[in-house]
This record gives sequence, C-alpha cells and structure tokens, in this order.
Amino acid sequence: MMSEPDVHQLIQKTRRYEFADGLRDLQLAVLLGLGGASAWLGFEPGWMAIVGNLAKTYGRWAAWVGLLPMVLVLLAVWGMLPLMNILRKRWLWRESGMVKPSRWAVPRRVNVLTAVIMVGGMGVSLGLRALGWADDAFVLRMIWAATGWGFGYTLFAMGRQLALPRYRWLGAIGGFISTVLLFLPLRFGQSSLAFGLLWCVLLVVSGVLALRHASSAAKKAQ
Amino acid sequence: MADEIKAITNLDRLVHEPARLAIMAVLSACESADFAYLTHATGLSKGNLSAQLSKLEDAGYVAIAKGFKGKYPNTVCSLTPAGRRAFESYQKQVQALAQYLKK
Repeated sequence: MMSEPDVHQLIQKTRRYEFADGLRDLQLAVLLGLGGASAWLGFEPGWMAIVGNLAKTYGRWAAWVGLLPMVLVLLAVWGMLPLMNILRKRWLWRESGMVKPSRWAVPRRVNVLTAVIMVGGMGVSLGLRALGWADDAFVLRMIWAATGWGFGYTLFAMGRQLALPRYRWLGAIGGFISTVLLFLPLRFGQSSLAFGLLWCVLLVVSGVLALRHASSAAKKAQ
Repeated sequence: MADEIKAITNLDRLVHEPARLAIMAVLSACESADFAYLTHATGLSKGNLSAQLSKLEDAGYVAIAKGFKGKYPNTVCSLTPAGRRAFESYQKQVQALAQYLKK
C-alpha cells in the first residue's frame, strides 16, 4: 500500500517538468532576440528607405514587406514547437513520459501584477515627462525597461512557484539589466535591439545549462 | 467540532486513497499526461496504476485516450471537469481540516 503522497510536491514536479529541460528558455530566447532585432530593423532609416523604394516601384502593397521580419520571428517561434516536441519524444522525455502542460504556468495574480508593473512603469515615465524631468526618448526606452521588469518578475515568481532557482536569478538579473538600459543614451530602435539581445543571451545561457542537465538525466534513465 | 468530524466523513473516498490522490494531483497540474509519466511521477507499478486509473475513469474523474506511438501502445490521461472539481473540493476540505487541527 502506498503511503500518503505529498500532493504539493507532485503538483510542483509536474508543473516544473515543462521548464526543467531548458527548451522553453531557448524558445523565449529566439522570440526576444529576433523580436528585438526586428523592432530595431523596423526603425532603421536604411530599412525604411528600402521598404519605401519597394512601395514606389511595385505599388502600395509592397510596403507590407516591412512586416516581414515580424512574421519571420513568429514563424521561427511557432516552428520551434514541433521541434521541441520531437526532441522530447525521442530524447529528453523518452523514458520519463510526455506531459501536455497547463495553459498558465503562474497564478493569475502574478499575471495581474506583471501587467501592473508594466503599465505602472509607463505611467511613471509619462508623469516624469509631464513634469519636464524626462524626454520622449526616456519614455520610449521605458517601454522596454517596464517590459523587462514585468517579464523578470514573472520569471522570478515562476522560479519560486516551481522551485527552479535559475528562473529566480534570470528574473533578478534581467530586471536589473532592463533598468540599466533605461539610463543609456539609446534611441528606441537601439534600445529594442539591446533589450532583445540581452534577454536572449541570458535565456540561452539558462536554457543550455538546463538542457545539459536534462540530457545527462535522460542518458542515465536509458 | 461536529462540522469538522462531518467533513472528515464527507471526504471523497475515491480521491482520498493515496494512489488515486497521487494520480489526481499529477493530472491536476497539467492538461494531460501519458502512462509513462504517471508511473514515473507517482512511483506506482504499471498494474496498480492501471487499476486505479480504471476506477477513476469509471467514476468519471479521468478521461483515458488509448492510441499508438509508432508500434507501441500509448495511453494519455487527463482530468475531466468533474475530476478537477472533485480534486479541488477535496483539497479545500483537507486544508480546512488542517487549519482546525492547528487551533
């Protein structure tokens, strides 16, 4: 007969399963890295001129080419899902079994607080601008800084919820770096690129470390 | 006092049994899980897991989809809305009892 199970631990273990192998980190790294790069490209005068020339030559519809980088980012992130599934089925989860995760990884209050942090950050920057203490560039940089705080908080909360210390570190470091970006003299496009690349590097490091660990665990299980 | 004793006697026996409680705890934390994951997470033997899953399926708490993964059979389990409700109400009852015992 089985002894009384630790319900909390079983729930935590199952929720953690989706994130423990690091593949989600790598997917997010692609989203943020390519997303930041495409936002930067969208505000680059050279790219804008190319799109403008295309529209002049081939008609107004050619201006849609300007959205191509964004579409490619979404395709890359979406395309990673079947790839992750194959890696898990054939390698990482082959012995330990497959799980379809819940739609929400964190409780609703974490999502609400994340939204409050992001909107609050924007509100503060607009308030500072109204008082004449900040310029338009600061307000635009705040879009990324507040996004970084919100995302960092979500990761930190996930780290606590799922007992994954690497997410706590990731959230804290990412949130701090996002704050530094706020005070650098960057234009909006440049701050998008810096934001995307910094988060991308952090997530790749975290993902690769977790993947190495998961890979050796999978090898042992075989 | 009488209410708390009532709560103990009103606990859903189907969920309260340790093996089934472990299965429902795992399934409550995801949309679905296959048989291999359930054995891995709960530590139950295949035979025991299969028997407990059948009981939960008969009660309408768990939905079981049987298929094939290549040449091998693959069983995927998930909690039904009734199963999720039963697990949540069981947890609430247990928490209330624990709080009462702390007093």
